[in-house]
Amino acid sequence: MTTEQGPDAPFVSGFNADYRGRRAECEGGAPIAETKYAGRQFFVGTLTGDYRDFNFGGSPWRWYLLAELTQKPEAYSRDAVWCEEESLTLMDN
Amino acid sequence: MSDPLHTLLCEKLGIEYPIVAFTHCKDVAVAVINAGGFAVLGEAMHPPEHIRADIRWIRERIGDKKFGIDLVLPASVEEERTVEELMAMIPKESRDFEQQIKAKYDVPDPKEAPDLYTWGGLDQARALAQLEVVFEENVPVFASGLGSPKFLLERAHAQGMMVWGLVGTPRQAQKQIDAGVDCIIAQGFDAAGHTGQIGTLSIVPQVVDLAEQRGIPVLAAGGITTGRHLAATLALGASGVWTGSLWLASRESDLNQPLKERLLECEATDTVYSNCISGYTMRTTRCPWHDEWLGPDAPPVLKAPLQMMLSSDYIQGSLDYQRKDLMTEAAGQGIHYVTEMKPARQILSDIVEEALDVFDRFASDDDD
Repeated sequence: MTTEQGPDAPFVSGFNADYRGRRAECEGGAPIAETKYAGRQFFVGTLTGDYRDFNFGGSPWRWYLLAELTQKPEAYSRDAVWCEEESLTLMDN
Repeated sequence: MSDPLHTLLCEKLGIEYPIVAFTHCKDVAVAVINAGGFAVLGEAMHPPEHIRADIRWIRERIGDKKFGIDLVLPASVEEERTVEELMAMIPKESRDFEQQIKAKYDVPDPKEAPDLYTWGGLDQARALAQLEVVFEENVPVFASGLGSPKFLLERAHAQGMMVWGLVGTPRQAQKQIDAGVDCIIAQGFDAAGHTGQIGTLSIVPQVVDLAEQRGIPVLAAGGITTGRHLAATLALGASGVWTGSLWLASRESDLNQPLKERLLECEATDTVYSNCISGYTMRTTRCPWHDEWLGPDAPPVLKAPLQMMLSSDYIQGSLDYQRKDLMTEAAGQGIHYVTEMKPARQILSDIVEEALDVFDRFASDDDD
């Protein structure tokens, strides 16, 4: 596990080997910039095992990197997305 | 017959009626709480110190009654780019189409650059800064409008806060129930803004089936604007209703007057589930912007947040110059029943009265 420091990286990075290469769905979404709106987004891809933990006291707020996306919103241009742990469902369970 | 409106939610919150107003207007929140309902103030777009000021403002006006704050926790994020980088990514074809719309409908330029241009990011760090204030102020109820609140439950419960989660699928509900949330808001496709794909009548009983064994109340959300809706969702097993569009055109609402008038005119079919405003699919009231982007000559809708950057001038211009013919707002299909500009207290009492009439009718049918 590596620790990122500074205001631009207020998280701890890590790697979960058990998740590497696992197929997963992400029921994701995010707020829309400077509006009161948000949008739901759905992704399917492969977990790299990389994660980021944000601290809010108690258990960490963990985010996994979902890559090699085979399903993503039509307008989503990236090849990977960070998904909050609870938004993920492993497909091979 | 015992009071059919006195539900588990009323017990947990110490409220008279199982009606929750989700609103971005502090005055609406205070009016609903002081009339015997409950209110959750949406603060997703505000910086931390603004949220703190709002919390204190509400407390001064409701005494020791409970209230809630809603934030939109992200559930997935892409890497950030600067506003300049994003602006440069908008294709000329899309820019030209935006200009065509503005010329065709004589859309005025905004008086000032939309807030979007001072966007500071929507990543996890911003959400955590907002949350910190909600926890420092020990707000009685925190509601997560999108992502899972699992990571904050331990801290919230340790300081006596309740945590609610809004879901669009039974799978999300099960995860949040297992995590230990105190209330689930089951939001159907009829709702305003971002919604799931399942209709309110279908998702509510599914989530109730999952939650009731754990004694967790479920709120029905999406298209609920009448006492008949309230009675129906209680019959489905819900402990109350989460209402948003219902309050948009209330006397206390801080929306501008022409927009309220537009909302009062809207039918259910005047709401559109489209991605042309922001790049995300969301339900909003139909306006010329929708009509043009749904037309055969429209270019492809851009990804979020580029489409929002494209539409923001149109939206802000329509508000700045009070152009009712151009305005749009997030609203659910229940907007059909929002036809009068009434005080929030009266809206609440009308719904309660109508719901009680429904139950009385069933009770008298039984007696016959």
